[in-house]
Amino acid sequence: MFEEFLEKRSKKIRRLFEKGKPLERLYPLHEAMDAFLLTLGTKAKKAPYARDSIDIKRVMIFVCVALMPCIFMGFYNTGYQIQMAQGEAYSFSGCLWLGLLKVLPIILVAYMAGGFWEVLFAVVRKHEINEGFLVTGILYALILPPTIPLWQVAVGISFGVVIAKEIFGGTGMNVLNPALTARAFVFFAYPAQMSGDAVWAAVDGFTRATPLAVVATAQKGTSAVAALTEAGYAFKDVFLGFIPGSIGETSTLACLIGLIFLLVTRVASWRIVAGCALGLTAMSSVFLVFKGENAIAFFSLPVYWHLALGGFAFGSIFMATDPVSSSATEQGRWIYGFLIGVLVILIRVVNPAYPEGVMLAILFMNVFAPLIDHFVVRKNIKRRLARASGK
Amino acid sequence: MGTFSIKKGKNILLKGAAKKEIIAVSFPKHVALQPSDFRGLNLRLAVEVGDSVKVGATVLSDKTNPEIRIASPASGKVSAINRGPRRALLSVVVELDGRQEAETFQTFKEEQIESISNDEVTSFLLKGHLWPVIRQRPFSKVADPKKKPKSIFIHAMNTEPLALDSECILQNKEKEFQAGLMILKKLTDGDVNLCMSEGAKAKALTQAQGVQRHVFSGPHPAGNVSTHIHCVDPINKGDHVWYVEAQDVLRIASLFLKGVYPVERIVAVTGEGAGGHQVYAKTIMGAPLSVLLEGDIPEQMRYLSGSVLTGKDVGAHGFLRFYDTQVTILPEGGKREFLGWLSPGVNKYTFSKTFVSSFLPEKEVSLDSDKHGSDRAIVLNNIYNPLVPLDIMTYFLLKAVLSGNIEEAEELGILECDEEDFALCTFACPSKTDVGGIIGQGLALIEKEG
Repeated sequence: MFEEFLEKRSKKIRRLFEKGKPLERLYPLHEAMDAFLLTLGTKAKKAPYARDSIDIKRVMIFVCVALMPCIFMGFYNTGYQIQMAQGEAYSFSGCLWLGLLKVLPIILVAYMAGGFWEVLFAVVRKHEINEGFLVTGILYALILPPTIPLWQVAVGISFGVVIAKEIFGGTGMNVLNPALTARAFVFFAYPAQMSGDAVWAAVDGFTRATPLAVVATAQKGTSAVAALTEAGYAFKDVFLGFIPGSIGETSTLACLIGLIFLLVTRVASWRIVAGCALGLTAMSSVFLVFKGENAIAFFSLPVYWHLALGGFAFGSIFMATDPVSSSATEQGRWIYGFLIGVLVILIRVVNPAYPEGVMLAILFMNVFAPLIDHFVVRKNIKRRLARASGK
Repeated sequence: MGTFSIKKGKNILLKGAAKKEIIAVSFPKHVALQPSDFRGLNLRLAVEVGDSVKVGATVLSDKTNPEIRIASPASGKVSAINRGPRRALLSVVVELDGRQEAETFQTFKEEQIESISNDEVTSFLLKGHLWPVIRQRPFSKVADPKKKPKSIFIHAMNTEPLALDSECILQNKEKEFQAGLMILKKLTDGDVNLCMSEGAKAKALTQAQGVQRHVFSGPHPAGNVSTHIHCVDPINKGDHVWYVEAQDVLRIASLFLKGVYPVERIVAVTGEGAGGHQVYAKTIMGAPLSVLLEGDIPEQMRYLSGSVLTGKDVGAHGFLRFYDTQVTILPEGGKREFLGWLSPGVNKYTFSKTFVSSFLPEKEVSLDSDKHGSDRAIVLNNIYNPLVPLDIMTYFLLKAVLSGNIEEAEELGILECDEEDFALCTFACPSKTDVGGIIGQGLALIEKEG
């Protein structure tokens, strides 16, 4: 009954968007709203005459659902950091409320600015609005520091959507992950608002080094864990996410809950996540084994700290697994993931400029993913040729 | 003899299976021949409206290879010649006079079959109008009688949803089937590969002589011709193999032994929409679907000649296609649902794990023609791999075809495939990509460019 009522309404409104009508050009907008409310009910015109119930809308919504724990922790921890910095008494609802005030505008601006470009391109190119933006927008918001000015949020996502995605042909054609590209753009364009010790807690004038910065600046020859303990970082807090950092990435636990959801619903590739963890473990073990007497503190950071610190969990679970910008072959996914893990450690430990390397590692491997695939595909072709000449 | 256990793929347990009981349905008043069924032939009319034809009389013949001809499956009068855009021939309809008078050819005795030569077999099949039952790979088109295939595959199993069980047809037909196999053996210097499903008990299959028997098990597309060829005798560029449906092997034998163009066809009438008519219906080639359903043709149904995965929507008044041994009647979809993307989906069918139903025990499902989404760019590229048992990188093959890179498509093995092998991919794709259709376009392009 209700469906029929909606359908009638929708049909009435549709008339405004039809050819020759005033809102003709905004048809994709109407289409998106219509399909949001009611399933399309289009029929298969060619064999197979029945189709799987899944569609891209469902897939993208599921990624958003997987992000829920991270979003919640983003609200909570942002508020928690403010309360800590201001020395206020702790209250759970207070944390949430403070965080909500800080983070919600960032999410909304990211969605609005990015959504604007998305709709514009859909209108110009006359295609339907892609649901992928639901994911890009929230991913981008979650990897920003909570203190970022809102205009920078808008500039960043505009860059990400237009330059990283639309000029390559839109959804499904991009080489780089749009959310990460957007962040990389703001990171290099406005370093003062994106890095350092002052940007992680949303209180003016308050500084606190992130755990990774603590390790990076620790004296040579000292133990990384000791430096962290001294700076007040316990592993439990790092794992649960009660530390300064970008909005949604601090909690490894929240990311793991999201991962379980993604793996149970088979939306993300477990090979990539496993490859990342393996690569990170391997490379950090190498540094642990070969650390000298007077090595920089990062050499001595144990593997489990590496896994929990910074954006590694968030990046490897939600960013590296983007099916469009990652490897598309099964073997390729292992290699791609492994190399991301290795690069993360290389940038963290050996590169003096950036204490964190997840963003750059993933973007770098995005670029190499097609090359990895190329070699895997060539192997298949060679096998085929060998079969032909083997007769 | 080989045993192959296929791991990749998926069976769709569709409701509406046919009872394995062969029942003769009433005799049709019209039958049709549809030129689009015969891939690779460029057919020209040999009759006009009003002409009288007998069973086995030439109705169509190929322009390039005039000795390949298509026969009328019934005696009567040509009542209509339907054309589509640009005068393309759509169908030739014959109105039956009910007498089924037939053209007669010479007959062979079973003992004689051993001594017939290759050329004799070819020319008799051509003369008897039965040549088109032999198809070739690559391109799944009617075989070229001037060529010799490296082997011949007998398609005696089918894993499509609700497909006809070949075993049932071969019951008590051991002699005829064996004769058909021996005739086909003459056409190749290589093997005749008889491909059957694991657990096949029909003596015609288990005791077949002079052929290589291969047993396949596993989910669909374990029963596809491409899967059999890929496992047993893969084709590379320049090779070709031929394949014949098990039911048509019986027809070949019948032509040789009885000297009459065989028209009998047993068809599995399946699908939820088929009312109470889900049986193995005995009818003739080119019969209308309405006869198979005894005239019971409700609206709001899809009338498919073939299976739900690879069939063709012919409409309630349509006719059985030449190679099909199954019709599927599928309820029409198109109901709009409020906030469908949010629904837990206890009753939604999916290969994915994104609905509650994915975690419930598998049971027979009822599907309709709803597309469940609109076309998007391919985002999830790991959907196809678990559904294609061939050593084919579907996603990259797709990209090669879409970018018009024929060379790479060939390198990636497109010549081993047919559209039907990717039907499951199209079914499962969340972006609703017509995977099979794209592969088909690639094959057509390659064939055109030689």
